[in-house]
Parts: sequence; structure tokens; C-alpha cells
Amino acid sequence: MAETNSTPDSEDVVLRSSIDRSLRHPVMFLFASGALWLVLSIVLGLVASAKKHNPEFLTCFSWLDAGKVDAAHMSAMIYGWGSQAAFGIIIWLMARLSRKECTASGVILWAAHVWNAVVLYGVIRIMMGEGSGVTYMEFPSEVWPLLLVCYTIITIWSLIQFQVRDAGHVYVSQWYLLAGLLWFPWIAVTAWVFVFLMDGHPLMIAGVAAWFKGTLFTLFFLPVALGSAYYLAPKVTGRPVYSYNIALFGFWSLAVFGPWAGMQKLVGAPIPQFLPYAGAASMILILIPAIAVGYNIIKTVIGNSELVAESPSLRFTAAGIVLFVVFGALSVFLHTVPALKLTQFSYTGYGFDVLGLYGVFSLCAFGAIYFIVPRITRREWLSRRFIKWHFFCSLYGISSVVICAVAGGLSQGQGIEDLSQPFGTMAERASQIGWGVTLAWAFLLFANLFFCLHLLLMWARLGRRSSHPTLLDAHHPTSPHGPEGEVDNYSSASA
Amino acid sequence: MTFKAFIIGLLATFGIPWLLLVVVPYSTMRSLDPVEYGKNSEFTGAFVPKRDGRIKEGSRIFGQEGCALCHTQVIRPTYAGNDVHRGEWAGLRKSSSVDEDTRRETIAQDFQQEDVAHIGQTRVGPDLSNFGRRLEHYLKLNKSSRTPEQWSLMHLYNPKAVPRYEVPETGAQIITAWKSACPPKSGLFDEVQVNGAGHGNLPVDIGEGIGIRPTDRARALASYLVSLKKDTLGNPLPDALNFNPKAPQSEE
Amino acid sequence: MDHTRDNPLKRFSAFWIAILLATSFGIALIITQPFAPDKTDKAYEMVGEGRLEIKEEIDRAQNDALNEAALADALQAQAKSFDKNTESKGSMPIPSAAPASAEKPAE
Repeated sequence: MAETNSTPDSEDVVLRSSIDRSLRHPVMFLFASGALWLVLSIVLGLVASAKKHNPEFLTCFSWLDAGKVDAAHMSAMIYGWGSQAAFGIIIWLMARLSRKECTASGVILWAAHVWNAVVLYGVIRIMMGEGSGVTYMEFPSEVWPLLLVCYTIITIWSLIQFQVRDAGHVYVSQWYLLAGLLWFPWIAVTAWVFVFLMDGHPLMIAGVAAWFKGTLFTLFFLPVALGSAYYLAPKVTGRPVYSYNIALFGFWSLAVFGPWAGMQKLVGAPIPQFLPYAGAASMILILIPAIAVGYNIIKTVIGNSELVAESPSLRFTAAGIVLFVVFGALSVFLHTVPALKLTQFSYTGYGFDVLGLYGVFSLCAFGAIYFIVPRITRREWLSRRFIKWHFFCSLYGISSVVICAVAGGLSQGQGIEDLSQPFGTMAERASQIGWGVTLAWAFLLFANLFFCLHLLLMWARLGRRSSHPTLLDAHHPTSPHGPEGEVDNYSSASA
Repeated sequence: MTFKAFIIGLLATFGIPWLLLVVVPYSTMRSLDPVEYGKNSEFTGAFVPKRDGRIKEGSRIFGQEGCALCHTQVIRPTYAGNDVHRGEWAGLRKSSSVDEDTRRETIAQDFQQEDVAHIGQTRVGPDLSNFGRRLEHYLKLNKSSRTPEQWSLMHLYNPKAVPRYEVPETGAQIITAWKSACPPKSGLFDEVQVNGAGHGNLPVDIGEGIGIRPTDRARALASYLVSLKKDTLGNPLPDALNFNPKAPQSEE
Repeated sequence: MDHTRDNPLKRFSAFWIAILLATSFGIALIITQPFAPDKTDKAYEMVGEGRLEIKEEIDRAQNDALNEAALADALQAQAKSFDKNTESKGSMPIPSAAPASAEKPAE
């Protein structure tokens, strides 16, 4: 997709091309292994969800016992898919925005392999019943320092690239990525020390683990998704971001409210009372950055609805940002005190987490992947149909999750709060909701099988050799991206 | 915005919640002074709720098996939920077989000896704070020949096969076979060859000469489950922690 | 490429600045944690005090009752009469059971 907002500057194109070439191996590996983990984690999620309404499902395999497979599902999704997708996006985007080639791609590739091995080890240990036993941080305790070391090796080069960038304006995506890069070790080291290294009060250990889970989303996955959206929306539409001031405001409001999130999972526990309610308050205030970013991005792409329909990256990114606004609005409703009473121990929390991790982060990540992969492999996506199925089945799946888990969870919670109802009422409602959630995972599995297959084909260099990008609408007479559709594929550029 | 301003802003916006939410509460709760019984109490010294069983190990296994996914262990104060009033979750109600209402909300000392408090994620199954208390009470009332550990082990092996005891709010005792949504935990049991009576195996019949033996992990977990008694029976609360004190008796 | 901003020295210092920033809160933890001692055992110690008092009382009573000379004599007597297969006295009086009232069996 051409950058129609700048004149084709051959030196610039050569630089971009060389940046893409320098990091093609680590980034493609991260995306491909991430996609495989995504499929695996969805399969595990399907099994976990099925066991909640059909407890006899697959009991012959003890390593698939319900509690263990659910913990394995979430861990695989966060550390297998989410983290690797985020790393790939960070590495490519920071290199491009700082206009620096990647000088350590061999080291990063090696560290990415180790990351995969460590995550696999952790997931297997969980399924063997040898996890840590700490909810939200189920990997055994020795996994965390290994992950932190791999993380440092993978991402420190991006921090260096930022600091040695050419003088000039810093784009808002760079602030988001930089913040995410620093926030992750801050929360991870704190959580690892307090939960595993030190002897603390059992309640506060549970609290810190919940805080880690909450801030992992608001301070790592969300900034990476938003940084990617702020890059792609103007890039693909060819227009500048609607308002730079709103962009900065959105960033700083996330920085102010984000770190307080997480402990709302422990309302009513005998910990200092302000802790869970501070978490709930921050989740309510997440609406503010959601509206700021949503308004900004939507105003940037509005009037270009054909582009949103045609460009896979823009379509996924726009959907992710719209879902972020939905997330913010739902968050306000779900974290008020009367709603918390109902939803705290129901399906709602799980559905809301999935909306965030898949609906917001993963959709934005898919948008970035659909943009980045053609540039680093110098091939175009093979099948418009695969992309469409990926998109629509993802939307169906996420809507099912929102309707069944989030809304159903309210009725489930109401069933247990209403003292005139026996326990069985809540159990029946939970079982019905469970079917809906299992169906949602089935849609998402279908969607991501195609995504994974498509991505692996691109990794195997089997993509289309073309300078026309793969657009979703074949009926457009001319490419909206200019004549010939500039893909940075100069045959004259030397390696 | 310069890099320096950015870093200072980031450090400040992260550092303040880091201190207030994580470091200070964690450090304070680590160094809580023991609560002592007041002068009016018949007990003296520090209040340490008695917990009997393989707590530390069982708690770790409880977390590893993922029980905290479907079961909570927190009786919330009424501003946060109705748990105290739901059945026998918070303790035993006063009835023909129970002299005194022993229900109470969860306090910080309830999780002593455990590595992490299993507050729980969702309530697919009932809250387990007073599971041991309920189980003992119901088994006694129904004159069952099973011990609480045996019942727990049977439940872990096959939740649908073991009678569940439901006490509706009227206080009537009934035995029902419940459609339990708890999945069987086959990994906690071994199939062993049995010649003759088979000591220590579960009373299930799955074939000639085969018995089901609980593993050590299953026994530790059962011991932990049976130890879950977080009410005031035998552990009266000191005044400082008692948010529901009895009205003072008039002097005779 | 702008050589004033990107050179090996700048990259080296950028590396260490990045490491410092990433571990900043870890370092802060190391600094703050010694100020928060772990007092979780204090409750057990307080409960243990009562038990230790009882134990001391028992120890004192047992020490008072211990008569080392008589014990040594009794052991010597035991050693000398070992082959005679007779009963020998120990160092302490044999406590006799309290006389129990029993009914005479009917004849």
C-alpha cells in the first residue's frame, strides 16, 4: 500500500526496504509462531468452555482436567499469541518510525525461539498439574525470570533505536510503544518479586497477581494496539491523524488510569477496601482514553469508507478501535458497585477479558500483521476469501462472547444474589451461557485456522508476487493506492 | 514532548499507583500485628484461627488443579454481595440441630498457612469457605458412615456419584443427587490391581479386580478441603474483628 | 545517517539507559522492601507463649523429682542381681493404683 502522503523518495524507499529486510526473520517467526499459539490456545479454550457445561467431556485425559486446561488456555493466549504478536509489531514499527535498521535480528530470533520453548514448557507444566497455583499467574515460578530475560533481549534494540533516531518530530505511536516497552518489565518484575520471591500475606499475593493481569492489558497490550492503529490509520488513508493534541491526551489519560487497574477482581476480600474499588474506578475511567482514541482514529478514516472496506489492515484496525470504544462503555457499566455485585464471580469477567484481548488487541494486531507481512516477505496475501472469513468469523465470535458471557453473566450473577432462588438457578443459567461461549470459541477457531494457514503460506514465501496489494473488494476499477500500487519492492535495492 | 519529560511523566503516573496499590499495602499486610482478644473475652493472647489439616500443600494443589476457577473462597461483606445469607456458605445457621449462628464474613487471618489466597474467579460451583463445616454437619445429621475425607475423595473422583446434601432455607434436610457441574479429576487417582478387599481404595466398582486409589495429591487436597472452616464455631472472633457483635446480656 | 546522533557510543549508552529504566522499579523494590519486615510469625509466637509456660512448669516438676543418686544406686543393684532373676527396686516408688471399689461377684 502506497504512502500517497509523501512523494516517492527513492532514498526513503531504499531505507524502508532495507529496514524491512533486516528484521524479516525475527518478525515473521514471531508472527507465525504467535498464530500457531493462537490456534492452540483457542482449541484449549474450546475444551475448557465445553467442560463447564458438559463436565464429562474428555475426562479420559487427565491433563485436560477443567481447571488446568483453562489456565493453559489463557496462558497460551497471552504469552504464546499476544506477546509474540506484540513483539513483532513493536520491532517492526519502532524500526520504521525511528528509521533505523535492525542490527540484532539474529539475537532477537534466537531469543524468540527461547521464548517459545519457555512458554511451551510452562503450558505443559500447567497441564501436568505443576503450575504455580496462583490465579492469573499460573506458570511455574521459574518461568517468569526466563520470560523477562527473553523479553529484554527481544525488545531492548527497539529502545536503543528510539534513542538514536534522527532528530525530528516523535510520532504518537512511538510514545505508545516506548511506554508499553517500559511498563511491561515494571509490572512483571514487581509481580514476580511480590508473588513468588517474597513471603507476603496470601491475600496481597492474590491481589498483586490480579493487578498484574489487569495492567498487562491496560499497560502492554492496549498501548501496542493503539500505537499500531495510530500508525496504520493515517498510513493507509493517506491523511494525517485528525488531532495530535487529542492523541497526546489519549496517551496520557491511559498512562494515568491504566496502572490502577486489576484489583477489582477482589472486591469484598478482606484487603484494604480502597484497593479493589480503585481498580474498578480505573476501569470506569478507561472510557476516557477509549473515547479519545476512538474519536481521533474514526475522524481520521471517516469519509474513506471504501478504503476501510477494501484494505484488510484498515478494516481490522478500525474494527479493533470501535471495539475499544465498546469495551470502554461496557467497562463503565460493569464496574459500578451494583453491577460488580452481580458480575464479580460470573462469566462476565471472562467475557470482558476476552473482549479486550481478542476484540481490541488481537483485531488491531491482525490489522498490523496484514500490513507488515507483505512488506517483509515481498509477497502479497494469497486469498481475499481467507481474509474475509477471518474477519467475519472473528466478529461473530466476539459478538457471541459479548452477548453470552458479558450479558449472560449479569443474569447468572443475579441468580446467585437473589436469595429466593436456589443455587440451581444460577447453575442452570451458567450452563446455558456456557454453550454460547463454546459456540463463540468455535467461530474464533474457524477464523484463526484460516489466518494461521494463510500466514504460514506467506512465511513459506508462497505469497503472490505482485505489486498490487490484496484488497478485499475486487470490483474497484483502479487501485486507490495509486498507479501500480507501490509495494517497497525495488529490485534495484541491494541487500 | 521531550524524551525526558516523557520519562518523568511515565515514572510519576506509574510510580504513584505502584506505591499506593502494590508496595505499601503489600508491605503493611506482611507486618500486621496479631489481633488479641480483648479484656472482656474468656480467651487470652493472640487470635489465631485453628486450621487442621495439610493446609499448605493442599492449598497449592487446589490452585494447581484449577479449582479456584470455579469455586470462590470469600464471604463478602453485604455491601459487596449477599454471600453471608446464601445457605450455609458463611457458617451454620441456628436451627434445631445447631445452637448458635456461626456465620461470619471472611477476615484476613483466614488464609494463614496458605501461599496464596484462592479468592476465586467465578462461581460455577458453590463457595468453599466453610465446605469442611458444612460437610461435617451434614454427614453427622444424615448419620452417614462416611468420613468427610472419604466424601471429598469420592467427590473428586466422580462428583455425580456422591449424594449431595441440600438444606433449603426452611431447614429441612434432604438428600438429592445433584447435576453437579464439577468435572471428574481422573488425574488424582490411580487404577490399581486388587486381590481381595483392597485397602484404602475408593468404594467404586469399575470392574473385576480393579480398584481406584487416591494419590497423595488427592489425599492432601481432600485434607485441605475438609479443613475449610471459616466460621465462629470454636474460633470466636476477638472484639476488634467482630463486625456483628451480640447484644450485651443484661446482668442477672 | 546523522552521525552525531547514532554512533556506537550513543548506542552503548542507550543500551544501559534502557536497562536502567526497565529495572528501575525492580531496584526501587530492593530499596524499599527491607523496611517492611515480615511479622506473620508473631501471632504464632504469642499463642506459643502459653504453651511454653506449661512446658516450663512440667520441666521444673520433673527436674525436681529426678533423684540422680537413687537412680544410680538402683541401676547398680539391678546390675548385681541381673542373673538372680529376682525383682529389684527402682529409684522411684511404684505408684499404686487407687483402690477401686468393686462388687463381689455373685456366687
